[in-house]
Amino acid sequence: MKTDATPVTFTLNRQKIRWNLLITNVILIVVSIIWLMPLIMTILLSVRPKKDTLGAGNIFFGSGFSLEWFQSAFDSQPWGTYYLTTIIFVFGLLALQLLTITLSGYAFARLDFFGRDFIFILILVQIMIPSAVLLVPNFATVRFLNLYDTKLALLLPYIGSAFGTFLMRQTFRQIPRELEDAARIDGCNWLGLLRHVYIPSSTSGYIAFSLASVSAHWNEFLWPLIITRSDDNRVLTVGLGQILRSESGAQYGLIGAGTLIVVAPLLLLFIIFQRQFINSFLRSGMK
Amino acid sequence: MEQESKQALIEAKNADSTLVAFKANASRKSLGRAIFPYLLIFPTLALITLFTFIPTINSAIQSTIKPPRTVQQEAEFVGFKNYLDLFDNNTVIGQEDNFQRVFVNTLVFVAVTVPVCVILAFLLALLLNQKLKLTSIYRTGIFYPVLLPLLSAASIWAFFFADSFGMLNTTLKAIGLPPQGWNRDANWALISIMLVVIWKQTGFYMIFYLAGLQNLPQDIYEAAQLDGASALRRMFNLTIPLLNGTTLFVLVIAGVGAFQTADPLYALGEGNPANRSNLILYFIYQHLNEPRDRGYVYAMTILLLILLLVFTVFNFIFIERRANYED
Repeated sequence: MKTDATPVTFTLNRQKIRWNLLITNVILIVVSIIWLMPLIMTILLSVRPKKDTLGAGNIFFGSGFSLEWFQSAFDSQPWGTYYLTTIIFVFGLLALQLLTITLSGYAFARLDFFGRDFIFILILVQIMIPSAVLLVPNFATVRFLNLYDTKLALLLPYIGSAFGTFLMRQTFRQIPRELEDAARIDGCNWLGLLRHVYIPSSTSGYIAFSLASVSAHWNEFLWPLIITRSDDNRVLTVGLGQILRSESGAQYGLIGAGTLIVVAPLLLLFIIFQRQFINSFLRSGMK
Repeated sequence: MEQESKQALIEAKNADSTLVAFKANASRKSLGRAIFPYLLIFPTLALITLFTFIPTINSAIQSTIKPPRTVQQEAEFVGFKNYLDLFDNNTVIGQEDNFQRVFVNTLVFVAVTVPVCVILAFLLALLLNQKLKLTSIYRTGIFYPVLLPLLSAASIWAFFFADSFGMLNTTLKAIGLPPQGWNRDANWALISIMLVVIWKQTGFYMIFYLAGLQNLPQDIYEAAQLDGASALRRMFNLTIPLLNGTTLFVLVIAGVGAFQTADPLYALGEGNPANRSNLILYFIYQHLNEPRDRGYVYAMTILLLILLLVFTVFNFIFIERRANYED
């Protein structure tokens, strides 16, 4: 908003701007409250004493504060195991993805070989074919490989990442060739080049990819649900699914507590690092 | 003389053998150099082949096969019959309350949630792009559902949709409107799922618009304002065309995400009543372990892939064209 130079309209414009700001703020406050309401209600429901039924009285507050629902939620599922499996799944996958996309990104960015462009386009086709849709054939493949109900089966379909390969290729291509030449004269082989030139200059690309990968797979549900059977190999979302299924009748307090157990770590991390988190999204911007 | 020639011969031989050795070494080296790039891309290419290309081709093949009904029967090639059955009123899978309904639901779901999310995200980004004191609070408040699993987003909303004491019905009663059955009501079930997804995803697309808005060239706006262009005209003639790239990106990821929505259904009624809120991917999941539906399930998988492909290509062509036209 810029103000006009002439003094007459100047005050008018300032008033207009003040009104604009007021309306903007009112709209945003209302939207934020609507958006926050489900989370607030979940928290309120999960700390409501068990004896306070929802039908009677106030839906917002019970007669007091109680952790009974959390106690039931903790007793009903082995959350510790689920957390461990989720962390192994998400970060094991991320490590394997970072390794493979670095190698293939470098090859497509800086090496010349027969069929390069053709293979690259072939790989890009995968961006349009989400793994989630291939639920049935991938399930058959995992069965065929005798990997049903293993942690490896959780992450196997996601390791080869077309999106990551594409992202690293673009990032590596922006690094000036002179840097590579200088490193070569200093006696670096390809591994040295990656370690000293390419990887250190691509941190923002790696951060963007890691954030996208971790938040996507932390939230994965249908694939882990069908591919695992034992508690040892189940992830958090599947644990929540168990809670949703196991109860007869709607026990919203229990569902609320289970939901909070699943989402708390990511949500807390986000609230603490929200500025950096959103800025890194903004900067990586997928322009 | 003889000795000299012998010496020369030996030298020549030596030279020759070193040359041969050198050549062999070089060719091994160049062979290594030729294979090297393929070694680097091998893990990615092999895994994508194993979990994307082969399954896609395999699904296409399996979708033309009718699985055996009994032990004596054999699998039978039936061409496109599985696809036709899916839309045939006289088959169990294709009758109106089954796949036909689910197919239409999926199209409606995408056609509603994608534009609503994207427009809402754009408007909120416009509002948030001003210098406000509470920007980071608003941003956090709208963005946080992005981090929740879709399943827990849906389970959070279960209470909102509850019958007599649910949040939405209590609110409706308070302002004097009749309560609704929400995700248990045939007319509201799909809308309920849409509400959850819009609530969860809008913040994600908003971030991309915020990034786009921050990268807009300011001088053009100053020029437009000097020319007396109104705020509305500036939005339609400058902001929206300049953000075409962002819109294309957001539309594609929103659409691809919407076509494969399944998780919320697990928490909110499993597609009930009578598949009124069911979507293709969840329907596939429900039929996963039915051996006799195998052919159908593969046909649905291929159909879903075709929908995704058409959607993506259509968006690229449409937006590219508009961008060219406006240039």
